[in-house]
Amino acid sequence: MNNKTLTRCTLALGLAAALGSSQALADVVDNSFYPYRDSQPSHPGLSAGMTINQGNVAQFKDIIDPAFLSFIEQGWVELSVGQTSSFDLHPNYVEATRAGLGQVSLGAKPGEINGWQAGRPFPEEPDANDPRAGEKLAWNYKYGYNWGDSAAIMPFYWKYRDMNNGRVERTIKFNFHFLNFTGRVNQEPKPAITPNPSELFRGIYVQVLEPHDVRNTQLLIHRAMDDLKRDNSWLYLGFQRRVRRLATGQVTDAFLGSDLMIEDFEGYNGRISDMNWSYKGTRYMLMPFYNHNDLQLDSETHSDSDGYQVVAFGGQGGCFPNITWQLRKVYEVEAEPVDGSHPLAKRTHYMDAQTFTIPRTVAYDRRGSLWKTFTIGQAHPDHHLPKNKGSGVSIDDSFSMIDVQAMHCTTGQFKGQVDPSLSTPEMFSVQHMRATGN
Amino acid sequence: MQTTRKGLRHWSVALLGGAGLALTPLAGAIASEETKITGFYENATYVRDHVGLSKFRNTLQLNAERKLGERGPFSNVSWNGVLRGSYDGVYDLNSSEYGRKAGGAVSLENTSGFGGSTSVPHGSGLKLPNSFDVANHPNRGMIVLGENLHKTSGGVAFGVPVRPCDKDKRGCINGYLDKDSNDLRFSEFNDRLDFIRELYVDFDYGFDNGHILSTRLGKQQVVWGRTDLFRVLDVINPVDFSRNNIYDELEDIRIPMWILKSDYRMGAGNVFDDLNLSFVWNFDRFRPHDIGQCGSPNVILDAGCFFRGMNTLWEYGGTVANFAGGEIATDFGPGQIGIRKAHMPAWSLSNTQFGLKLEGVYGDIGFSLNALTYRSQLPSLRGGIPAQNGFTGETGIWPYLIAFDIHFPRVNLLGGSLDYYSQGLDTVFRVEVAHTEGEEFANTMKSRLYSENSVTRYVIGADKNIFIPALNSRRAFLFSGQIFGQHIHQYESEKRELGRVGIPDWKANWIGTLLVKGWWMRDRLSPQLLAAHDFRAGATTVAPSIEWLVSDNLRLIGGANLKVGSGANKFDDCRTCNPWDPFTAAFPGHPEGHSLGLGGYEPLGRFRAGPLGMAKGQDELQLTLRYSF
Repeated sequence: MNNKTLTRCTLALGLAAALGSSQALADVVDNSFYPYRDSQPSHPGLSAGMTINQGNVAQFKDIIDPAFLSFIEQGWVELSVGQTSSFDLHPNYVEATRAGLGQVSLGAKPGEINGWQAGRPFPEEPDANDPRAGEKLAWNYKYGYNWGDSAAIMPFYWKYRDMNNGRVERTIKFNFHFLNFTGRVNQEPKPAITPNPSELFRGIYVQVLEPHDVRNTQLLIHRAMDDLKRDNSWLYLGFQRRVRRLATGQVTDAFLGSDLMIEDFEGYNGRISDMNWSYKGTRYMLMPFYNHNDLQLDSETHSDSDGYQVVAFGGQGGCFPNITWQLRKVYEVEAEPVDGSHPLAKRTHYMDAQTFTIPRTVAYDRRGSLWKTFTIGQAHPDHHLPKNKGSGVSIDDSFSMIDVQAMHCTTGQFKGQVDPSLSTPEMFSVQHMRATGN
Repeated sequence: MQTTRKGLRHWSVALLGGAGLALTPLAGAIASEETKITGFYENATYVRDHVGLSKFRNTLQLNAERKLGERGPFSNVSWNGVLRGSYDGVYDLNSSEYGRKAGGAVSLENTSGFGGSTSVPHGSGLKLPNSFDVANHPNRGMIVLGENLHKTSGGVAFGVPVRPCDKDKRGCINGYLDKDSNDLRFSEFNDRLDFIRELYVDFDYGFDNGHILSTRLGKQQVVWGRTDLFRVLDVINPVDFSRNNIYDELEDIRIPMWILKSDYRMGAGNVFDDLNLSFVWNFDRFRPHDIGQCGSPNVILDAGCFFRGMNTLWEYGGTVANFAGGEIATDFGPGQIGIRKAHMPAWSLSNTQFGLKLEGVYGDIGFSLNALTYRSQLPSLRGGIPAQNGFTGETGIWPYLIAFDIHFPRVNLLGGSLDYYSQGLDTVFRVEVAHTEGEEFANTMKSRLYSENSVTRYVIGADKNIFIPALNSRRAFLFSGQIFGQHIHQYESEKRELGRVGIPDWKANWIGTLLVKGWWMRDRLSPQLLAAHDFRAGATTVAPSIEWLVSDNLRLIGGANLKVGSGANKFDDCRTCNPWDPFTAAFPGHPEGHSLGLGGYEPLGRFRAGPLGMAKGQDELQLTLRYSF
């Protein structure tokens, strides 16, 4: 072989390798965001439209998490099965992932990340041999598309229920607002809101609307880009007429007396560095993903000029959302608290591989017993409010936190709206709380 | 009376309106999604040691808000209104303590035994050449000043009328402490239309650079500062201490004023995460604190009783315990000693009040810088008014004579505050400081018996949530501690022949507070313990309570308010000031206007005892029910 041929071959091989590598990289991103592009998951005996109950649950135990398995076995709930559907995230987020591919790495310590700008930090399939695989999945969740660049839950109904008799002990009505300061891919300004002198990552602003004793309570949380830094948080109490600075270290404290710890919000609301993360495997499981508009909804709790109604609840104690469940690809991740005094021994998160939301979590107490289990129902944005269509957001649409030891639950019924006009940057300031307060 | 009739008419209208609103919730809901009407009914029933029923207050409050959205160049336009009316039945149910039958005949201490007894009835003291006629000022419907807290113990005292001003007008200071029965029963229905508690409009104006001018115009509360319980920067609105001393939520006892407040909101910049400049203009007619009229259950520092007794002495004369020679009960005539009148600042542009505040967030620190010019809401007693010499009958200005007018001086304030969250300690620290110029204090070393002093006040606070698993495994407890400090500058005080003279307030004093609060039953049961300790006075208040949310609408609070430690304190009372030399000289050559420092509990010891010490003996059990809708 002469030099010219050798050179051509080398070039060809290199080009092929580059193309192959590029293709492989492109596949990484597509595989991460479009797992059902080529095939639908299946399980023997499982079909859309069927109901899983006490009578037939045994054959589906491999695809149901242990908490829900026990609930079905006890007759507390029945699962309605729906067709697996693709919850495509916004293409800008996908492209941001593609743009950042290969540039993101974990820092030396848990809670440190380098090179992330936007998108999914680690779209590669987790490797069971990677001791930090669980941590990468946690970052994918933290920097997940979630509610997009901004959104609001207006309104948001929390109900505290006695699981033994279904009595609703308390109903709290909120407005929740979310805003990403950085990692913005869709709403202007992109990629970040400036100025941002404290390098904030995200803001959450909560207003309590009812009942009267907590009306006008407002909560503002500023989360920094630095995971090691605790949130800055402020509380406006209507009866005090002023803003109080909050100590945010007690993330295991129950929020407003509910069954949720502050740390539980959205699946996990703490620092990456507060947990030891371990990847337990990839599975196909029944997960709470559905089309909101196809459900039999709650006609009493909420009504408005949009005609929107919230998800209904039923089952034991009224603690279970009346939704459909579909078979989906899931990463099972365990999170064990670093702090030995944490009341939990661990949480098992069932992360949806496509959306990197955490629709199912099971929490265990220090004795290793099942303590609480958290379900966050995910609604497809194209079968929800008209304004959400095309947003590419997997809409958090219902939740249930069940304390099985106390036989008590807190349920959440959402009107999620992906609408930047509802969560403007000036709302996430301390002065806004004073201006809005009474 | 005219005011009362008008007030009752307003009450009827408000009640009917409120009833109408309450009876048509469905109509209200349908009428407009934008108009929100809420409210509550509350009953507060308190029982006090040795007194019995001390409060039976029924309150109806209606809140209305309507969001109007965009109006012309303005956005976020809305209006808010709060109506409140209350009826305190204690003036009817315990009228022998607080109503038309309160008080009785009094006797004043006469330590020397001059005249044959160490105690003489009012009107039977040593008569000055110009004395008073007991027929004009009969011995009925009175208490002895301070008798609920201390014995006279060789100090001064006098009879204080305690019945509502329509039953007994003695000692009722026109325009200041002159409430009649209905004013006391229905405290919101007065000529200041307090039943319209708040009424304001909010609107924003957005600038092209993204800044926002947020304005609130109307009757409102403006709250500055970062402190609980103490008013360091939170001094824009006066306070109604007659409602429950210092123990009610400030939201319920601040007196709303007609104010224009504008905030220029700059938001996040290159340096600050949030920055705002606030301008406040209180254009309302001046309003002092309501310190509680003598004869009502809450009279902070017992000052209202001192004022009423002193005004009675001025208008009618009276018998003063242990006055002549420091040990003989003495009868004074009208226009000689006491309080003549209160100078209530009339409305004028120069009497309005202005404030500026720069507030923001810098990294982990929230801060504010504050400036305010306002009228003191606490009264100042200024001597040097024309009075009759009780011996010669001559009218003149007598230095060091205990004859006063009440004034409300202008005060200028500069201060600031900050809060900081320590991640390592998981604790929020709060600091608030205010320095004032223009406040006035009683001072027996000054010829007009007062001096102007600058004052620095501060609070350092810390808040921390702590889990105590043995008590509650799911919910952390809130621990909140504060130290309040007050330093009076240009302080004057010295020891003289018989005691200390000068300014009775402590040159430097501190009050510490500790709040511990817990939550059970999904936050529906919340016990708390609040304790406050006045270090120099040695007085402590402990207030345990339990709040129970029976339902989303119904809340019950049961608690106690207990005072321990020291109570009354003694200080120079100016009996030995010798204003009417030589008649009042303690010895030949006693300089005119030179107090020897003979003192007692009354009247100036109250400033050393403080609000906690002066409330000793007023232990209460309290039950409050609130139904919200």
